[in-house]
Amino acid sequence: MASVKLVNIKKVYPNTETKKKKVKKGEQPEEKKVNLQITDEGVVAVQEFSLDIADREFVVLVGPSGCGKSTTLRMIAGLEEITAGELYIGDRLVNDVAPKDRDIAMVFQNYALYPHMSVYDNMAFSLKLRKTPKAEIDAKVKEAAEILGITEYLDRKPKALSGGQRQRVAIGRAIVRDPKVLLMDEPLSNLDAKLRNQMRAELIKLRQRITTTFVYVTHDQTEAMTLGDRIVIMRDGYIQQIGTPQEVFQHPHNLFVAGFIGTPQMNFFNNCKLVKEGNTYAVEMLGKKVALSAEQNQKLAAAGAADQTVTVGVRPVHLDITNEGFAAKIDVSEMMGSEMHLHMNIEGQDIIGIIPTAGLDLNTVKNGSQVFFNFNPALIHLFNPETELNLI
Amino acid sequence: MGSKTSLSKALVRRETISGYLFMLPCLFFFLTFVIYPMFMCVFTSFFDSNMGKNTTDVFIGLANYRELFSDRIFLGALRNTFVIVLVSVPVVMVFSLWVASAIYDMPMVLTSAFRCIFYLPVVTGSVAVTVVWKWMYNNYYGIFNFLGKNLGLIDKNINWLGDEKYALWCIILILLTTSVGQPIVLYVSALGNVDKTLIEAAEVDGANRSQVFRNVKWPQIMPTTLYILIITMINSFQCFALIQLLTSGGPNHSTDTIMYYIYYTAFKLYRYGYGNAMGVVLMIIIAVLSAVQFKLGSSDN
Ligand SMILES: Nc1ncnc2c1ncn2[C@@H]1O[C@H](COP(=O)(O)OP(=O)(O)OP(=O)(O)O)[C@@H](O)[C@H]1O
Ligand SMILES: [Mg+2]
Repeated sequence: MASVKLVNIKKVYPNTETKKKKVKKGEQPEEKKVNLQITDEGVVAVQEFSLDIADREFVVLVGPSGCGKSTTLRMIAGLEEITAGELYIGDRLVNDVAPKDRDIAMVFQNYALYPHMSVYDNMAFSLKLRKTPKAEIDAKVKEAAEILGITEYLDRKPKALSGGQRQRVAIGRAIVRDPKVLLMDEPLSNLDAKLRNQMRAELIKLRQRITTTFVYVTHDQTEAMTLGDRIVIMRDGYIQQIGTPQEVFQHPHNLFVAGFIGTPQMNFFNNCKLVKEGNTYAVEMLGKKVALSAEQNQKLAAAGAADQTVTVGVRPVHLDITNEGFAAKIDVSEMMGSEMHLHMNIEGQDIIGIIPTAGLDLNTVKNGSQVFFNFNPALIHLFNPETELNLI
Repeated sequence: MGSKTSLSKALVRRETISGYLFMLPCLFFFLTFVIYPMFMCVFTSFFDSNMGKNTTDVFIGLANYRELFSDRIFLGALRNTFVIVLVSVPVVMVFSLWVASAIYDMPMVLTSAFRCIFYLPVVTGSVAVTVVWKWMYNNYYGIFNFLGKNLGLIDKNINWLGDEKYALWCIILILLTTSVGQPIVLYVSALGNVDKTLIEAAEVDGANRSQVFRNVKWPQIMPTTLYILIITMINSFQCFALIQLLTSGGPNHSTDTIMYYIYYTAFKLYRYGYGNAMGVVLMIIIAVLSAVQFKLGSSDN
């Protein structure tokens, strides 16, 4: 158990390979990865990363592939050198402390179980290295195995286990020694969907039995939302927003977060107009004028917002099918059981709405039918199209 | 269902037949040039044979084998061979693993350079290498005597290859330089193939460098170790060209090895049957030792 503090952390991977390639290929500079930031120093994987993780907090790093999640985690583990900035575990500055002396545990994406050791030995390994008495090792391994339900596999080699069982062993190996910080890098990504849901639920349960600080990396926003006390959303090496699942869902800091969190994605309407009429604001979109709520007005006024072009964001669940409102055509309607996903088209733009099926006349939302939708203006988001920041 | 399985059986049979057809040429050479000579070797070891040079072969049962174990030269050669194996195998194993661990994670250029240096004696060809060594060991103008005297290690010139005390060790030294190349190359690639996340997992688990090596890398490169152990052992058992080129078994049979003595008996004394009996003994020794090593190595895993 310990807090973890990252202060303005930066990571640059030395550019050896990329440079060589550039020299060799010479005339093909256009083939570069979009989210790579290649400078003269090298590949900038993470920058301006500051985060205070409280003792026993569960923090999830989430973001698209290549945004620097693993790099950040590996820097905390000590497997990757920190280019600049300071990292504290507890009160101790650990920038130059070897992984073995940081008292952290890590669950790797590919599990990284020692193939020549039995499950028992895999779990006992770190304790043996610490010269823990045999009886204590035995008790701890058995207890962890009990928690994870792998007692019956203790004598097996990892090869003889299924993916889900290996996953448990990997977690078991990490929790036997009560690490100060438990790091997990996409621990569930190698499992099939069903097992993933099951393991996710078990992680939540595990969380209540184990008192340690968790840093969890995933690119799956469902995992992030369900597991995290706080979520750190990253893009291209920068933090986009830090907040509780509710905060990032209800108040996305910018367009990226708004689009990243929530499935299906938030609907965005570009080129709308924010107009100030006296003390109140309204939005002109799709040929209609939408008045904003008191709270929104207050925030906009406090920010001193003027007339401007905005991008309006509306979550699919906040769309309702009504008798009047915005006219749209249903391209495809997907029956999901208790709710329905409607893929609609309005003035050439594709949008998605989610509506409950209870009391709904299915005939009115057939493919190709004409409908009206509306939404509660209090629930919409306004973004500055240039800075991409949320105005409210 | 029934027809489906019979169809797949026919398919399997057809594939099997074509498989054997592809093997046929290879099989032919293997039978003619490996199995048949091996068989003849065992067969003639029961005869007093000189391959039809003066007389026809006479069946003498186990007489050749009985003679072997009272032949002081053979027993001396056997002892020399074991000295060579017992010294060179451990030294080669330890040295090549040490070098490989040191160079495998260096920048690519350096790794390649070191690999080249150690592999050079292997590809140079034993005659060329031996000629150079012969010069270095020379009694009058060899570099060893020159350095030894200048550094005050020896008082007067030593006839390295002509002295029973030193000759075998001189051979072993050359054998070592030509034997480490292959193991180093194999170890470098084996170490490079060790799953990096396993090493990281061990580091996070609290292992220091030597613990990582012992608990992760060593078990992972075990198959390579086993392979190197066996090829080095066989190589050492079959040490021949060096002896032939440098000392011809001398002085006073102090550098005789089984291989060399087989050659000497069969092609200098024309006692093929007797030579083949030695060959069979050598074959059995190597086979038994290899089997033991495989057993030990695989039970370890
Ligand atoms: N060893 C390395 N050398 C150079 N660049 C690297 C190295 N490792 C990662 N990078 C780059 O750093 C950036 C961040 O990588 P990182 O592995 O942290 O991404 P990630 O967020 O974990 O992505 P994913 O979800 O795909 O695992 C990427 O652009 C990647 O190409
Ligand atoms: Mg990653």
